[in-house]
Amino acid sequence: MRVLISTFGSEDADRVLQAMRQLPYDKLVLVGDDRVPESDAFTRLNNLEEIAGHTIDFETADQDDFMELVDGVSEILSRHGDSGKNHVVLNISGGSKLLGDAALLAAFRLGVETFHIDDRITKLPILRGATARDRFTSSQVRLIEMIGAQNPVLGDLITGMAPSSKQSAERVVRELKKQGMLVSEVRDCKVHLSLSPTGLEVLRAVRLITRDKRV
Amino acid sequence: MVVVFGTLGFRPKSLIPTIRSTPNVDKVVFYCGADKSEANAVKKVSEAKKEVLSYCSAMKLSVEAVDLDDPFDFKSIAMRIRGDIRRHKRAGKEIAIFNIAGGTRPTSAAALLVCILEGVPTVYVHDLTYEEIPLPLLKMEYSQVLSGEEREILRTLSKNRSRRLTEVELASLIGKHKATVNHHLRNLVAKGAVRLERHPSDLRKKVVVVEESTELLLGDDE
Repeated sequence: MRVLISTFGSEDADRVLQAMRQLPYDKLVLVGDDRVPESDAFTRLNNLEEIAGHTIDFETADQDDFMELVDGVSEILSRHGDSGKNHVVLNISGGSKLLGDAALLAAFRLGVETFHIDDRITKLPILRGATARDRFTSSQVRLIEMIGAQNPVLGDLITGMAPSSKQSAERVVRELKKQGMLVSEVRDCKVHLSLSPTGLEVLRAVRLITRDKRV
Repeated sequence: MVVVFGTLGFRPKSLIPTIRSTPNVDKVVFYCGADKSEANAVKKVSEAKKEVLSYCSAMKLSVEAVDLDDPFDFKSIAMRIRGDIRRHKRAGKEIAIFNIAGGTRPTSAAALLVCILEGVPTVYVHDLTYEEIPLPLLKMEYSQVLSGEEREILRTLSKNRSRRLTEVELASLIGKHKATVNHHLRNLVAKGAVRLERHPSDLRKKVVVVEESTELLLGDDE
């Protein structure tokens, strides 16, 4: 099934209409704040969908915190993708700037084909299926997952990486440090590692993608 | 030299906090523009621009204000910003941060896209409190998700965009066997980077069409 997901605000009927004309779809999903379903724009689009024998799936995205918004949109993209069974296409031209930017970030995380449809149609350079996880080797992902939200001691972490050798585990730590994913601090004569904000973002993306594959 | 980039709309206060909070800043580059048919918007953007210029001048900062011809043309904006960032990087300048809070929706989204592609730290400024919200962004390295052959094919198609190449013509241009090119093309179609269209005069053939955003994806501006 082809799913068209679009960010949406109360004055964005024309943008979404343009997307509906340009991109083939079987199901239309609109993402916006909780006032959207009461708007004339939403009613107009829903009437059109009803004529075609469908209704719009509306998803609320709470817009208080940017990263929560990114997580929320990621979850919506992931759920409607149904573990790769559906072909999801995203349009980010509707709704607030914050919502559009959050949707763009979520699309990069999950490798979702994305457009910015206004008067012009721009296909964004996001490769379908190329996710944030692809940047990392499996050992790097494993280490990121092991650190998680904890603050483990370096030595314990290296031991926990078995059957990888001490040298390979140390190399993975160095690589991730160089990429700005890890932060280290010395406490009680021991080196503790934690994920930097970027590392935590990678962890969130990896968890989403892993969960998506497991479903 | 430390450079701060930003997008500017009606509110100078959405950009100035980032200039204030960045250590050792020497230069500010910002992008602005309004719908020319809306006199009020043009006036507001112009006033905001004047205020940022005056702040930078008072702080003795070098400044580059970029007036966007069309602040709703997503692709042109992204191309322009990416070109500017790469120019500054090549000149050895440090891009400290990109503030994407101001400007039109396409301007802000285009700036965010470039920050992801170039790995530039990005920040938002809260609408009400003017507090900065740093975004933990990832750099998307296409060298890690596209093979060398795939990148070569995309570059060749992009350079020969006006020619509408068939698979055989493409294979001949890059000096590889048709079957090899076919294999890579199938991968690129699956990734959504190219599509196959019917040949305009020969129904037996198909032409390979590269998506318009490929220049952004490859980032070749040198």
